[in-house]
Formats: sequence, C-alpha cells, structure tokens
Amino acid sequence: MNMSLPIPKRMVFPSILLILLIVTPFAAPLITGDDPTAMAIPQRFAAPSFEHWLGQDEFGRDRLARILYGGQVSLTVAFVATTIAAVVGTLFGLIGAYFRGPFEFFTTRLADVVVCFPPILLALLVVTLFGPGAVTLIAVLSVLYFPAFARIAFAEALRVSALDFVEASRALGTPSRRIVLRTVLPNIAGPLSIQYSLTAAAAITIESGLSFLGLGVVPPAPSWGQMIRGARAFMNQEPLGILIPCIALTLTIYIINFFCDRLRDALDPKGAQGAKDAISQPVTTSQKAPDLPSDAVASVRDLRLVTGPASQSVDLIADVSLTLRANECTALVGESGSGKSLTSLALMGLLPDVIRQENGQLLLRSKSDGVVDLGKTTAQGLEKLRGNDIAMIFQEPMTSLNPVHKIGFQMVEAILAHRPMPKDQARNEAIELLELVGINEAARRFDGYPHELSGGMRQRVMIAMALSCQPKLLIADEPTTALDVTIQAEVIELLQRLQREYADGLGLLFISHNLGIVSEIADRVVVMYSGKIVEEGPTDVVLNAPKHPYTRALMGSMPAAHTDLHSSRNDRLAAISGTPPLPMARPSGCAFRDRCPMAIAACAEHIPSLDNVSDVHSVRCIRADEVVTA
Amino acid sequence: MTGLNPQPLLQVKGLNKSFPTGKQGIFRRQMMQVLRDVELYVNHGEVLGLVGESGSGKSTIGKAVLRLLDIDSGSVTFDGHDIHTIDRETLRGLRKDMQIIFQDPYASLDPRKTIHAVLSEALDTHQLHTGNARQPRLLELMNMVGLDPSFLSRKPHEFSGGQRQRIGIARALAVEPKFIVADEAVSALDVSIQAQILNLLADLRAKTGISILFISHDLSVVRFISDRVMVLYLGRVMEVGPADEIHFAPKHPYTAALVSAEPSLGEQRERIHLTGEIASPLNPPSGCVFRTRCPFALDECAAIVPELRDMPDGRQKACIRDDIL
Repeated sequence: MNMSLPIPKRMVFPSILLILLIVTPFAAPLITGDDPTAMAIPQRFAAPSFEHWLGQDEFGRDRLARILYGGQVSLTVAFVATTIAAVVGTLFGLIGAYFRGPFEFFTTRLADVVVCFPPILLALLVVTLFGPGAVTLIAVLSVLYFPAFARIAFAEALRVSALDFVEASRALGTPSRRIVLRTVLPNIAGPLSIQYSLTAAAAITIESGLSFLGLGVVPPAPSWGQMIRGARAFMNQEPLGILIPCIALTLTIYIINFFCDRLRDALDPKGAQGAKDAISQPVTTSQKAPDLPSDAVASVRDLRLVTGPASQSVDLIADVSLTLRANECTALVGESGSGKSLTSLALMGLLPDVIRQENGQLLLRSKSDGVVDLGKTTAQGLEKLRGNDIAMIFQEPMTSLNPVHKIGFQMVEAILAHRPMPKDQARNEAIELLELVGINEAARRFDGYPHELSGGMRQRVMIAMALSCQPKLLIADEPTTALDVTIQAEVIELLQRLQREYADGLGLLFISHNLGIVSEIADRVVVMYSGKIVEEGPTDVVLNAPKHPYTRALMGSMPAAHTDLHSSRNDRLAAISGTPPLPMARPSGCAFRDRCPMAIAACAEHIPSLDNVSDVHSVRCIRADEVVTA
Repeated sequence: MTGLNPQPLLQVKGLNKSFPTGKQGIFRRQMMQVLRDVELYVNHGEVLGLVGESGSGKSTIGKAVLRLLDIDSGSVTFDGHDIHTIDRETLRGLRKDMQIIFQDPYASLDPRKTIHAVLSEALDTHQLHTGNARQPRLLELMNMVGLDPSFLSRKPHEFSGGQRQRIGIARALAVEPKFIVADEAVSALDVSIQAQILNLLADLRAKTGISILFISHDLSVVRFISDRVMVLYLGRVMEVGPADEIHFAPKHPYTAALVSAEPSLGEQRERIHLTGEIASPLNPPSGCVFRTRCPFALDECAAIVPELRDMPDGRQKACIRDDIL
C-alpha cells in the first residue's frame, strides 16, 4: 500500500467536488442576498430571472436561497449524525473485538438489536415521540447508523488484533488503550472511512425522506425534502419546483458516492487495478524446426521474460535454457525472486499477462501430436496440453483441492476432461491411482471430502490427479514446503517411486529452495540467481563440487550441511551478505558480484556466459576455474 | 550454563492448555487439549530449542510463557515471579525482560508506522532512554541488528523480508530483555538470509548473555543455535537433552524418526518409517500419544502414560523402552 503520497491523483477531482458540495451551501449569504423564508405571494411561480436565478416557489420565496439554506440543514444533519454514529460505533466495535468476552457480547448484541428494526419505522417512532426537528433527526440517524460502524469496526479489529504486530505490542507491555487507539484504529481506518461516506449519503436521503413526510425539519425553515413536498402539489403546473431539489439531492449523493468509490480504490491497491486473470500467450522467436532429442520430454530455449511498458521493460528472467528428459528429475533451485517459478509457469503457458515473453522457444512432447511448439499453439491447444501432457502440483495442498466436491468426483472429472471413457472405468482408474500414491482404503477415501484428509494425504491426492492422464512431464513447485518433515519425507519417497515405476517415462521438474531435498530426489540440478541460470549439472557434481560462488555460498549458509558447527562454540554459518537484487536494480555485469566474496573488477564489465566446465557441468562465472572445491 | 545462578531464569511446571474447538453445543464447549503437563526450564544465557510438527503445541508454549494467552493449570516462573498469578502492573514491568520475535516478517510490523515509531513504542512504554537519550539508543539498536540508521524514517513496506526480521529483532532488543521467544523466527526466510539472522542471534547471545526459547520445525537450525533441545509431540514432551546428542543420537523413537526424515546433504541415514497419520488432538491415543505411529510400540504403551524420565547421560525421555535405539 502506498501511503507516502498525501493525495493520489485519482482522488483530486472527487475531493474538489466534495469540498465544493460542502462549502457552497454555507457560502449562501455570499451567493444570494435573499432570505429563504421571505414570502412574496404576488410573485409565486415566477420564472427564473436576473434577481431570482432559479425562480420563486409556491409562496414566492427565492428557490436558490432555499436550496442553499436547505442544503445547510441537510448536510449538517447528515454529517453530524454520521460522525456521531461513526465514533460511537467504532468505539463499540473496537472494545468488543479487543477485549472480547462480555464486552463482545454486549456491544455486538446491542448493534444486532438496532439492526432488527426497519430504519424508517424506527425513525417514525422516535420522531412521533419526540416531535420533529433537526436535533431529533440527528439522534435518530445516529442510532440507525451506529450498528453498521460497530460491525465493520468489530470485524476489522478482530482481524487486525490477530496480527503479530498487535501481539508484539502486548508483549512489550503497551497499555491496552494505547494499542487500541494507536495500533488497531489506524489499521481499520480504511474500511471505516468508506463506510462513513456511504452512510453520509444514505443519511441525506433519509433526512429528505423524513422532511418530505413532514417529520423532519419544521417549516418554514428550508430543507430539500420540504421543497419536494411543497412542489409536489403543483408539479403539473410548475415542474421546475420539484426538479430543482431533486437534482440537488441526486448530485449530492452522486458526488459522495463518486468520492467513496475512488477512496476505496485508493485505499485498496488490489481494487484499483481490477482483478485480471488474463494469461500471456507464449511466443516463439526461433526459426528452428520444433524438434527434441529422442529422450527429451520438454525444452526451454533462450527464454526471456520481461515486465513493464515496452520503452522501459525489465528482464525478469533471461537466457534460460533447459532440457527435461524422460525418467529424469531436474531440480530448479534458487531463492525467492530468482525466477524458478516463472520458468515453470512459462512451460505451462500460464504466465500472467503483465509478463511478456520476448524471446525463446518452448517445446513439449505431446502424446498425440509429437513435438509441439507452445508459441505456435492456440489457447485451446494449450488447454488441451495442460493436464494431458504436462501436469503440475503446487505448494499448498490445502487450497489446491475444491473443498465442496468429493475427492472421487474431482478425480473422475480430471480423467474425463482429457480421456473420454465410461464413468465406471474412470472411477476404477481413480481408485487405482489413489492406491498407487499410497492412500489406504482408497475406495472409502474416494467418497470422502478433502477436509477429511491431512495435508500429506491431500498432496498425495494432488499427485494422483496430476498423474491421471499419464502426462509426460510433471512440474512440482515446492510440493513439500508446507508439510511437516516426516510427511515431506514420505511425499519425496512417493515421487521417487513413481518416477522409477512409471511406465511411459516421466520427466519431473522439481522446484525447490531446499538443497537437502534436492540432493535426495534430483538427477540434475539447475541453480538460478536473479533470473539467470548460474550453474547446471548432475546433482552429485553440483552439490559436492560446486563451481559457482553462489552455489557454494548457498551450501555454506545451510545449517544442515554443517553438522560440525555449533553457535555456542562460536561457530558461525558462512552467510551471504546483502540481499538478492530486484530485477530493476541488478548490478552491472554479474548480478551476484556485489555479494560475491570472489568478485573482481572484471565482473562488473559484462554479464558472464554459461560455459561448460566439463561435458555435463556448466557455470556462469568468469572465475569458475579458480574455485577450489572443499 | 554457569553456576552463578542456581535458579533457572524460566521454569515451567505442569503446564496444561486447551482451546475450544469449532464444534460446540449451547451449554458445553468441546475442548481440545494442546499442551499436557509440559515441564521445561531455561537457564540464564541458555538457548533452548523447541521442535515438533504442526499441532505439537510449540507456539502455544511460547505464548503461554509470555502470558500472551491464559493457561488452564500449571505455573510459569520467570525471574522469581509466577507470571500467571502476578497483578497486571508487575506483569507490565516484567514485560521489559521478556520479548518475542515472530515468524512472519510481513505481519509482525505495523504497516503504518515508521521504524522510528516501532522502536520508540517499546522504549516509551517502559520510559527508557527518554528525551535526548532516545536517538543514540535507536542508532545503537540499528547498528546492533546490522541495519543502516538512515532507515529509521522509513515504513516497513520499503524493506525486504530479512530486513523486516532484523527490525523485529531490534524491537525485541530495544528494552534490553533477559529472555526472548523466537517463534519460527527464521522459517519464512530464504536460506542465505536465514544464515544471516542465525548468526545475528548467535552473536547477540554471545555478547549480551540473553536467554532464548527458539521454536522451529527445522531440526538442523535448532541444533545449530540451541544448547539443549526439547522435542514435542501432540502437546507432550518426548525428549530433552543437549542439542548435538539429541540430533546425532536420539533415544526416543519419535525424535529418531524426525531426525531420519530430515533431508540431509551428507550420507543418508536409515529412515525410520512412521505408520499412519498424526493422531487427532481431539481424541488422543491412550497411554503414550505417539504409540499409534511408533514402530517400536508394545502393548504396554497403550496402558501407561510414559513419564519424562532422567536418563544416565543427562537427557530426559518419555518412553518406557530402553532397549531400542
């Protein structure tokens, strides 16, 4: 959220309108010298003239003066009532949410009781009891609107109170009053201010409605509702009389709502952009015919992905080439932001449309059509490939399954989507798959719901679904990161076993930040840093004798790789200083050089190329030969 | 660690805690017990590592010892005070001595406060370094956690995860506590940043003699940073002992299974395969809570709740079998 700008650009125009709306009625004496209650019966229904810009009403009173002075009343009533409702409601909500227990019961129930009354009926009741007038109106509207504030404040405060920074304040011994007012309140101000503007608009309508019914402002004091009421009787002879207050009312509510909309956009950055789900279409820039080595299931050639406007686009990843082979597990390793997940999304044809493919060729071996160039495939063609020839499992098994459908239903659906067959046969295949991934009592689980399964079991179901159409390539994006160690070990063993036993030769692309897991499962390792491959080779070579300083540093910073070290013996891990650069702020030359212990002046001059250090091992470092292996 | 302070800084006895579950009737709430008879102590200047899988209750212990939540029964004695019975004023004073570092570097800082305000809140609450002494103290804190002092006027969104975690550590250190709970403090960080923060904590411990309750699910991290390690399963203590011994020569079947499941870069250990899934805390097994997954379980394991016994080598374990591992 960008809070550093005092007023966002999009807020300027609505803010000016709102200020004009509020100031104009109160500037009435400057605009017109007429008294809004001074009657001049002979001039009744006089048309607009130089003295009376909007004409005169049924008693010959100046309409402009009445609109302006009436606006004073309407706006005062609306804003005072809304302010009282906001303050009282917010306080109720905050107290209920922060202190819980009896406070929660008292505050929320009180608000619930008020909500039970139809608003107009409640207003009528109070006005009948206490007599009409501006003060009564304010009281009625405050009572009517405080529950809305109480509920929003309660829900939001509950959410914010559960956040760690509030807990941290409590741990510091900060007094409750200070936490509520200084920490919780500012963080719920966004939704509350939106509710404030909405309520103010609603209050103006109710105020006018009550005045129209003769229960609001007492005549002859002016008010918009009364003007409508007065003009209604003569609307056939003099439509202008009813149009003017109606336009004033509409304009007021429109301006306030316009302001609300923009305010919501400004406070919620996600709302402003509009949720777009569009996918960017893969392209191909290679003139070469799509062909793959006979044992390869997919390949990425010279992939370059950029974001931002064409004039100042930023490379997210560049120069990435990968060949994924059947019966081989390739691990893509790197820290967050290194581009490992983007590479896999590009292969799935699932890049979000803010990211464009500028260069490269993506090839996939399809069961039906031989080698397919993703850049020459239509959106429908890509859809057919996904799930059928290429499948993916994700980090979060809790959100990857649809909670409202039975597991079996989801699996059968996945199978039938790509392979038409009788339902019974699909059911049997699904149960076989569940057994294959090690789910006991597969037939019973088939009729169960996802919430009945533990995280590890759900990940097994995800794997079973991914395998349901016998894909050539399985992409696993951090598939065990959310799981406990014992469960993680089981899922890794399952993936290893599947790869061994899978009849048609499965290529596995395993994305992970954990070198320990990678060393167990992967045949080849590809290390990425800041959007580029920095080292690639067979797992035992790369992990036992890394040649790139970054790979070495990664190994050095892992406690698991240094079981001889202990902090109490004054040992320290060989940490890498600094943080990975953002794509727009990479250093010149080698992107790793400002964190690299071996950097020399030449590293700043140009981006090093990915060179072979042996038949199977390549490294992107100009000093690769000098790296001595420990 | 030393013989100077015979009393541990933190002593927890018979700690029990349960939470109401989602399902509840009108008159009766179904309770889920997350901690059962937990005993632990942390000496002055010591780092105690707390490991366990999700649902083992490790974070609940961290919050209970700071009285960030109330407990059902048992006692938590910190520096001679039973913190669950003392009055609010005394507790507020004690809060200066015990602090917490959170897992999520994004949720743990108020997005609307500058770093200056975040660190000042801690000092204001306890009337520390007021007036002219404030600025030098803030600069000192920034230096201590390896951040550029010019960052003080910035807001959290301008920082990376690792930098935020350093700010969270600075906030905890601002009041010069004697004891810190680090709740998964490095779990959300990338490997290279995780090493920086671990080194920072190790340096702070060496320099200030602070005690740390280090909660994590990562056994290698816990082994590196802790003097002693405690292993939890379903809210019960399974094994406690010196870090290296627990890690390299576990005596409890659960610890052994955990350690063997850990992906290692070096030589592979023999995996100890657990059967079944973690039992539901709503309906825990009788006797030893681990028996349903234990490859070494006997019939007796269902009958007796194993006590945490002192072993000859100085560790404690809650398992009736000494003939295994």
